[in-house]
Amino acid sequence: MAEWNAYYHNEDEEEEQEEGEQSGGDYKVTGRDSLVFLVDASKEMFIKGEDGQPSNFDMTMEVVRSVYTSKIISSHRDLVALVFYGTEQSKNPRNSFKHVYVYHDLDEPGAKRVRDVDGLQGDKGAQLAADTMGSGETSLGDALWCCANLYSDIKLRLSHKRLMIFTCRDDPHGDDSTKDRQARTKASDLKETGVVIDLMHMMKPGGFDVSLFFCDIVSPPEDESELGLQLEPCDKLDDLKKRVRAKEQKKRTMSRLNLCLGKGINVAVGMYATAVMTRKPSAIRLYRETNEPVRSKTRTFHTQTGSLLLPSEIKKAQVYGKKQIVMERDEVDTIKRFDDPGLLLMGFKPMEKLKLHHHIRPAVFLYPEEDEVKGSTCLFSALLMKCREKNVFALCRCISRRNYPPRFVALVPQKEEVDHGKVQITPPGFNAIFLPYADDIRTVDAPQCPVASQMQVNKMKEIVSKLRFKYRSDAFENPVVQQHYRNLEALALDMMAPEDTEDLIMPKVEQIDQRLGPLVQEFKDLVYPNGYNPESKPAAKRKTDTGGGAEKKPKMEVSEDELKAHMQNGTLGKLTVPILKEACKQFGIRTTGTKKQELLDALTARLGS
Amino acid sequence: MDVGFSMSNSAPGEEPPFELAKKVIQKFVQRQVFAETKDELALVLFGTDSTKNPLDQDGQYQNITIHRHLMMPDFELLEEIQNQIHPESQQADWLDALVVCMDLLQRETKGKKYDRLNIVLLTDLNTGASADHLDVIIENLKKDGITLQFFLPFPVEEDEEGGGDADRRGPSHPGMGKGLSREQKNSMDMMKHIMLSLDEEDGLDQIYTFTNAIEQLCMFKRIERRPMSWPCQLTIGSSLSIRIVGYKAVTEEKLKKLWISVDAQTNKREDLKRETVYCLDDDNETEVQKDDTIQGFRYGSDIVPFSKVDQEQMKYTHDGKCFAVLGFTKQSLVHRHQFIGNQVIKIFAPKDDEEWPCRPSSGRWHELKMVAIVRYAYDRRSNPQVGAAFPCIKQDYECLLYVQLPFTEDLRQFTFPSLENNKKFTPSDTQLSAVDSLIDSMMLVEENENGEQVDMFKVHQLPNPAFQRHFQCLHHRAVSPGTPLPPMEPWLKAALERPEVISERCQAPLEEMRKTFPLTEVEKKKKVKTSVGSVDPARDFRILIKQKSRPFGEVCQQLTHRIEQLLSNKNTQYYMKSITCIQAFREQSIEVKKKKNTLTIFHLRKYIMIGLEVFWDLLVQGTISLFTWDCRISLKSFLP
Repeated sequence: MAEWNAYYHNEDEEEEQEEGEQSGGDYKVTGRDSLVFLVDASKEMFIKGEDGQPSNFDMTMEVVRSVYTSKIISSHRDLVALVFYGTEQSKNPRNSFKHVYVYHDLDEPGAKRVRDVDGLQGDKGAQLAADTMGSGETSLGDALWCCANLYSDIKLRLSHKRLMIFTCRDDPHGDDSTKDRQARTKASDLKETGVVIDLMHMMKPGGFDVSLFFCDIVSPPEDESELGLQLEPCDKLDDLKKRVRAKEQKKRTMSRLNLCLGKGINVAVGMYATAVMTRKPSAIRLYRETNEPVRSKTRTFHTQTGSLLLPSEIKKAQVYGKKQIVMERDEVDTIKRFDDPGLLLMGFKPMEKLKLHHHIRPAVFLYPEEDEVKGSTCLFSALLMKCREKNVFALCRCISRRNYPPRFVALVPQKEEVDHGKVQITPPGFNAIFLPYADDIRTVDAPQCPVASQMQVNKMKEIVSKLRFKYRSDAFENPVVQQHYRNLEALALDMMAPEDTEDLIMPKVEQIDQRLGPLVQEFKDLVYPNGYNPESKPAAKRKTDTGGGAEKKPKMEVSEDELKAHMQNGTLGKLTVPILKEACKQFGIRTTGTKKQELLDALTARLGS
Repeated sequence: MDVGFSMSNSAPGEEPPFELAKKVIQKFVQRQVFAETKDELALVLFGTDSTKNPLDQDGQYQNITIHRHLMMPDFELLEEIQNQIHPESQQADWLDALVVCMDLLQRETKGKKYDRLNIVLLTDLNTGASADHLDVIIENLKKDGITLQFFLPFPVEEDEEGGGDADRRGPSHPGMGKGLSREQKNSMDMMKHIMLSLDEEDGLDQIYTFTNAIEQLCMFKRIERRPMSWPCQLTIGSSLSIRIVGYKAVTEEKLKKLWISVDAQTNKREDLKRETVYCLDDDNETEVQKDDTIQGFRYGSDIVPFSKVDQEQMKYTHDGKCFAVLGFTKQSLVHRHQFIGNQVIKIFAPKDDEEWPCRPSSGRWHELKMVAIVRYAYDRRSNPQVGAAFPCIKQDYECLLYVQLPFTEDLRQFTFPSLENNKKFTPSDTQLSAVDSLIDSMMLVEENENGEQVDMFKVHQLPNPAFQRHFQCLHHRAVSPGTPLPPMEPWLKAALERPEVISERCQAPLEEMRKTFPLTEVEKKKKVKTSVGSVDPARDFRILIKQKSRPFGEVCQQLTHRIEQLLSNKNTQYYMKSITCIQAFREQSIEVKKKKNTLTIFHLRKYIMIGLEVFWDLLVQGTISLFTWDCRISLKSFLP
């Protein structure tokens, strides 16, 4: 796999690597997450809103689709199912339940499923639903039982189980108290097996009364407050999406740590990654004949004897100053060990001491873990309140895992915020901002330049004001990732061409021009001297991408004697990568890597022997 | 380095200057070796018994030895310093030695590119130096742009004019011995003369003491990288473009080298070979050739074959290098904790561009508290990003700071229980005031008597402890192979702890915290089943019986209760479940048969009596599987 990954990354190491490895997203995988959509398919769900507003069923399908596609991209290992209840037809594993229609069994979502859900949208979708499933009697108890079976039929280990009920009927069984009772029994069974049941209730005339029936079905909110049930029914797609999104992702700690304030004062906190860079996934190898995935096995063996080597027969080494320094494998680990994992409070600093440019990795979020140390939440909460009040951050030394070297983090307090629908948009807790060490800060000489006049500044301010917009962090999709998945989708479904993706991070040039109007020229007149063309000068300097570049390349050849002299003087490293590559070619050395050090090592090995 | 006999003199209990000077050189070379700088270094010894230098003629430049010519330092040099450099018994003119060094630099830098030439003299200045050609030497130093540094066993105070009275200083400083000799005083004057001639203002700042230098050199060098410039155009719409140049200013630096695997016996890398094989996921793990594999990707549950060629052709492409403004937004909408990526880029005006309008564009709109949201692409091959450009106004420069922001796909919108609305966890006033005084006692930033803010813990001035420790261990292993790794350097350990002032000051508030906030670690125990649940009563029943944590009778009672509940639903599904319960009951009863526990099963009769005919039918149908056990209870006993 390693070389396949390398294929996608920058090949020329002389230029600085653009993207480093991401530290935020590595979780310990303990099992699969699972999510069942249990959707009411009664006639009421298909009633269109006023002014051609989509029906509740339509909205639900839209949300299911967006969850499917986002799972495919960011957590394809999660299992998802789509089950309808209150149908006329029945379809379930042993066909033991009437009026329950399992549309998608609990499985990883794929291209076909996305298409299936697409097919259930709009008028055509409603027709298809009517034809295949119809609307009939309702027994939520049976439906829940059927879902329970879906969970228990899975042979994989499930780490998180969630069930979301989408309905607009607050009293699904009418006066049938037996059915109510059955549903309650079954719901409590599910909850006992660790399934979290959420209600995504939608608008109906007369309002949705949760207390009639569903209050006994759903899981109590985490914080034992009443907040969850006070939610108004959803009547907008965006709200529904937001609600589902908030519940759909399992909060998973990257690690649980003690925040130590002083000897014996340990607050248990969980560390969560709230922003993790999603990348194009790495390729997998398939057997050409059958397209089935192959597994790769890497083994290390002795060149001479050909025998497989045990880990104990391997040591680790690095070369410095022409000397190979060898360590045991466990020594390599112990070098990195400074202390047990944990956060150690060093002290506090005023917020303005946190510099904007001190950024080296995505921040992580901290929230107390009452289950680990009782009393944590109270102390954490007090610390949070006081830090906010005094406008300070806490500076901590952070060792996030065993054998991880320490980093320092600034714990910045964050206040809880909820939107108009009482859905939380910002959780309460500390954001831990990773701070750079001296090694991480580069010395950059700032060029001197003339001071701008007030007129110029004002003109720029006008430009800035014209182009104001409200930034939202979830407004931009990654065009590279989206295109990749559109391509895969097209291939998986034998489509003629992939669906178009809109590149949302392209500047809307026309709109900008239009909004600015004459301002651009006015600004240019104020700032640029006559006839200055900012685009002309650097063009000459820029490396030409086409053939012309080759001629300018310096002579790359170095004689063997020269190389040997360099090696003896230890100045081999002074040669540039292209020259080293050329030299490797000259001696017929096959190098796998393109890193300078690898080339150096290869040459040294060859010439030294 | 002066290795002459006077360098071995020291007051009792003090390390001789020779040893200290050697340490300075060792530390310095170590840093160079591990930093892998391309700096070259030569070592000239003076006061040696023999003479080995190109200026050795007519009895001039005697007792000066070029130990190593100008080249990159390595472990060989470190070992030589360790093992081959000893105090010798001659004395040599340090000015002569300086001339030899100047000559060496001149000869050996021919045809090389260099930034700077520097000569470091480590000596006790205890030789009479002839001042004959002092002016010529100074002229040449200036001409060649050579800088000088002196390392001495004793400090030089600036206010002293020309070699004053030795007694005045007293023997307070280690290395001073009984005060300075006449030669030393003379030499000192000459040294000062040279240094001030080279740099009138700060020349004397380049004179250090050995002990001071050792302290300063104890850290390994921080990783330094030459910032690469990234010239581009900042564009706003189609017709406004501004030339810019970007530099990576902050980024998480990694060690340049990775560990390689070597054979444990021979320590040779070539003796190891790693091989990757591919095999099918069948029982035989059938191996397939690499050439028989193709590339594919996962699309959820689908696996899509997708060749590199197709992928190249279909992939997202863009126009390359770009820094285009999408719009401007309030700074408060761009949250610090949503910064992503691992770098900050500073955007400046290009150096050679006189008429640069970035100043008006970067500067001053900070008054509006706005930031630019931009599309950034490093080059054609790298993926475009969305990010924010913050105006940054400093006293001597203005620039934009670019940081990457997340895409929709990157965000994990977790919700957490509210802390404020939860009475259970609301801190009391006493608790709040305890935290209040803790914070006050632990402020790391304070005002000093001049009203200036002093930050006593600047993380960005601390070298990465992981690198320091890494080099310490590597160095140890290289010079003392076969011995266990050393403990962490005390200075490093101390640097990672709370500053002492803070530790002391926060004692009382911490004690208060301990009192007001009860914290108890929750004991982690495995979830123990304590009763027969409704989901899978049969399984629970079996587990409980096996655990023996509850009396058998009680567990049976619980199961019976569950069966009753199940049957009351009057539904086939529940009947089936009841039957599995009975099955479990029977199986367990047989296992513990000695206890002759059979009574509860007879309760079943009563259900049969109350008209659960369907259930009865099922029970009878199932009798074959149900009663194929070695049956002690006859079927008859179930009959009404």
